[in-house]
Amino acid sequence: MKPALWAHLVRRAVRSLWENLYLNAVAAGVIGAAVTLVGVFLMIMVNLSELVDAWDRDVHVSAYFYTDVPVDRRFAVKDDVGRLEEVHSVRYISEVEARAWLIERLPEIDRVLEALGDDVLPASLEITLQDGATRPSDIESFASRIASEDFERIDYGQEWVQRFNSFLSLLQLLGVAMGFLILTAAVFLVGNTMHLVTYARRAELETMKLVGATWIFIAIPFFLEGIVQGVVGSSAAIGALFVLHRFLLVRLQTALQLALGGQVLDFLTPGWLAVLVLSGVVLGVCGSLISVRRFWQAAP
Amino acid sequence: MHKNYGENDALIDVDLRVAKGEFVYVTGPSGAGKSTLLKLLYGAEHPTGGKLLVGGVDASKLSQRQLPFLRRNVGVVFQDFKLIQRRTVLDNVGLSLEVLGMARSEIDRRVRAVLGVVGLRGKEKRYPTQLSGGEQQRVAVARGIVNDPAILLADEPTGNLDGAMAVEVMEILQAINLRGTTVMIATHDVGLMERFPARRVRFEGGKLVRDR
Repeated sequence: MKPALWAHLVRRAVRSLWENLYLNAVAAGVIGAAVTLVGVFLMIMVNLSELVDAWDRDVHVSAYFYTDVPVDRRFAVKDDVGRLEEVHSVRYISEVEARAWLIERLPEIDRVLEALGDDVLPASLEITLQDGATRPSDIESFASRIASEDFERIDYGQEWVQRFNSFLSLLQLLGVAMGFLILTAAVFLVGNTMHLVTYARRAELETMKLVGATWIFIAIPFFLEGIVQGVVGSSAAIGALFVLHRFLLVRLQTALQLALGGQVLDFLTPGWLAVLVLSGVVLGVCGSLISVRRFWQAAP
Repeated sequence: MHKNYGENDALIDVDLRVAKGEFVYVTGPSGAGKSTLLKLLYGAEHPTGGKLLVGGVDASKLSQRQLPFLRRNVGVVFQDFKLIQRRTVLDNVGLSLEVLGMARSEIDRRVRAVLGVVGLRGKEKRYPTQLSGGEQQRVAVARGIVNDPAILLADEPTGNLDGAMAVEVMEILQAINLRGTTVMIATHDVGLMERFPARRVRFEGGKLVRDR
């Protein structure tokens, strides 16, 4: 395409953006709202996913000793367990340490524990497994292997994490479906807003077609307008997400401190932000092109 | 060639040849098919049957993609002018050249030259609403001829003009024809046809009834 033609097309796009500023702002606003909705969902999903990953990495098996197992026996068992190949590390937690750990987190429980007696919290082994051995079936077989007369109970939280993971997968599926619906609705909304722009300029566009303008000549300024709307709308959405993250999620993080266990609620990574901007641009371009296509087919 | 809209026949078995460089009036009462014939010639409509050759190109088979290239060879002057109100005379006339991708400086040069031909020199920066009906019609003529089309079609070009202005526009169209452009004018203004005599093809009820 000739450089002079590009100059005409860019000039047309700029002029149309300026002359239909209000409608273009509405289109950018619709894109912004849709991208914000998708972004909020994305932020929740990314954080939940990271939380589950962290829990997954942190999976360990707790084996609680009977109170009558002698201390030297407990350390002998600890050494035996520590020699197993799927074990990354073993930590012995005495009754006193268990009690201190609980009181540190729930100070008001101190009096209850005193009333119940010294041996209410048993000594235990906290076993962290190697990375490759954290599947539910691996943990289950490991637990049955170490089960012995010394242990009163063996706990492992992997099943729960797994169930939460399945729930997360379902949530992700719902998220994709919801995102698709939001974006489709936004394409129609942007399309209809841009239809008003096309309508406002129909006389000009019709005359252009009658004097020999090609589809490309008519569509490219709309394409460029769509890009601008998309970039403006999604940038505004990213700003809104940032504010939301800063003032809402961070407060939520404080409230959920115990469940999060020190996990920080992250903002979206630059990669995800680029995806949001790209989605906004695709929305703007699709909406614009749909409306101008409708005009092109109807005009003489 | 045949054209119908559903059960209504707009043009019935029309057999018409116009040679290069001819000046032709298409006449007849309202609803006779004059405007339909012109619309077929610039590709706004497609014939229902038969063949339509415009400058050697089969216009009956043109796709939307090919249509612009036909229109660049066929200038059209509409009865309602079809000027863009938010654009200056310079921009309105330059539109036909802009779609070709011509550089702005070249567009300006050619538009100013053609505005001289139609007697509008010095009014480049005016908007259509600042011009009289006759001047607006001349802007429409200028836009139709600025890219030197092989054919110029005009649908009732004097329909909205008073006598003196109508004569001015006809003189311009005749001058364009003398430069080699084929001109076809749809009109029922008998007075003008007598003042500027040329071949007349008459339509009635969609049929070509007279050609002289």
